[in-house]
Amino acid sequence: MALLDIQNLQLAMRSYEGETQILHGIDLKIERGEIWGMVGETGSGKSLTGLSVSRLIPSPPGRYLAGNIDFGGKDLLKASDRDMRALRGRHIGMIFQDPTTNLNPVFRIGTQLVDVALHAGHDDPSILGLSKGASRSAMKKAARKTAIEMLDKVGIPDAATRIDDYPHQFSGGMRQRVLIAMAMIGKPDLLIADEPTTALDVSVQAQILRLIHDLVAERNIGVLLITHNLGVVAQICSHVAVMYRGRILESGPVREVLKHPSHVYTQALLDSVPTVHTKRGELRGLSGLSPEAFA
Amino acid sequence: MSLEIKNVTKIFGTSRKGEGFTALDDVSLSVKKGSSFGLVGESGSGKTTLTKCILRLESLTSGTIRFEGKDIHALSKAEMRRVRARLQIVFQDPYASLNPRITIHDIISEPLIIHRETVPMSSRQRTERVEELLLQVGLSREHLFRYPHEFSGGQRQRIGIARALAVKPEFLILDEPTSALDVSVQAEVLNLLHRLQDELGLTYFFISHDLGVIRYVCDEVAVIYRGKLVEQGPVDDIFDHPKDDYTRMLLNAMPDPDPDLSPFRRVE
Repeated sequence: MALLDIQNLQLAMRSYEGETQILHGIDLKIERGEIWGMVGETGSGKSLTGLSVSRLIPSPPGRYLAGNIDFGGKDLLKASDRDMRALRGRHIGMIFQDPTTNLNPVFRIGTQLVDVALHAGHDDPSILGLSKGASRSAMKKAARKTAIEMLDKVGIPDAATRIDDYPHQFSGGMRQRVLIAMAMIGKPDLLIADEPTTALDVSVQAQILRLIHDLVAERNIGVLLITHNLGVVAQICSHVAVMYRGRILESGPVREVLKHPSHVYTQALLDSVPTVHTKRGELRGLSGLSPEAFA
Repeated sequence: MSLEIKNVTKIFGTSRKGEGFTALDDVSLSVKKGSSFGLVGESGSGKTTLTKCILRLESLTSGTIRFEGKDIHALSKAEMRRVRARLQIVFQDPYASLNPRITIHDIISEPLIIHRETVPMSSRQRTERVEELLLQVGLSREHLFRYPHEFSGGQRQRIGIARALAVKPEFLILDEPTSALDVSVQAEVLNLLHRLQDELGLTYFFISHDLGVIRYVCDEVAVIYRGKLVEQGPVDDIFDHPKDDYTRMLLNAMPDPDPDLSPFRRVE
């Protein structure tokens, strides 16, 4: 059975102008060990697909018209809030785009990490290396130890002292590492990374991609990587789904899709990426191709 | 030479005790008329500080910046205003750089009013000029009295370009003009910049952290790292035969959309 199985996901959003359908039937299957890239332009629905998996779309305004999201034998769309809280952070890890706004500036890095570790530890004490029924103080101690180990793992130098720093004392790349540590601390089976490197420099981006790649190899997790950067997809993803206006136009192994795109839109998107080899006048935008051509 | 920067150093925070922070360290470069010069570097490397120095929004600690032979930092206020009409800038964030409360017509005609001494126009002439500019950047007359929120990111950046072109400058500073846009939209804006350069004979000073974009737009490129230029020269030379380790690292870090070039891909 697939780790994550999204079938015919249809989402509508309500606004003052009435209800608009955003996702028109998304089908996606992620196995362990796979890194799925989800690419598309702004507004194509890639983030909303990711948020649907962790059930972070408030309802209203969101409303699921049809479909199901199977994860660990459960349909997440039917799961209660309580069940979802237990899943988030513990079985489904999440990383978001902007590392500057996703850490609370008034708490130390350690406090924020320990919080997540304790939450995961309540569900399964073995994450903290404890057996059931451990005392509160033992839990706290173990949570801090786990937090330091995690920071060390994501490459924060001198983790044991840096853990007591505040977010503003960390650079953008380091903060994104902290967020990855936070997402990985509960040993999730599935990691949803929504534009994890968009706000970062290319050199830092390369480091973060290597980190995600190594985590997948080591823990055999599944990853849904949402990005608009085809270069990032080509680098680390094993599979890719191309989204356009709430639909997946094309999906499959990354080499197949990017080397031999079967859809005009995928080809057009590839043609609009300037690489170090693109010469003047060779770049094409999407104008001239009507939206109907992609449907 | 259109722009000549010689031994420019900028140190912030020298008034207090301590050494201060060296944002630009002995930077020298020159931009030929009608060419595109690219400046690449990571965040914090000093790219934006350099543009601010060129526009005289920051003072220099030492060195000179000459625009068509004139030392920009030695000009009087009135002289500087005249230079600014020929030296315009397009900003990075098209969502933040347009005033949401005034129409596109007013946004684009604002520089015409500010520089009325350099480009004297009646209000009717101004409106005609704005219409002409909109067509030039691929928008149309019907957009004239709309507000910024009615436009997409790519369209807003076109409006930003039209505003910069309003007073017929010869030199355009483009500070990451496409980094907030989708790749497909970015491609269109880059092609627009190419076309405008051919039509109007503009000189570009193009700042980006995207090496692909730099290669596509620029003739020459300088790589800046921690306030120092580590390497500069013709784009093809630098990209095909980088001499500096940092440049090489940047080139290697850039993700290529060809899956076979990935350093992570296991041999299957």
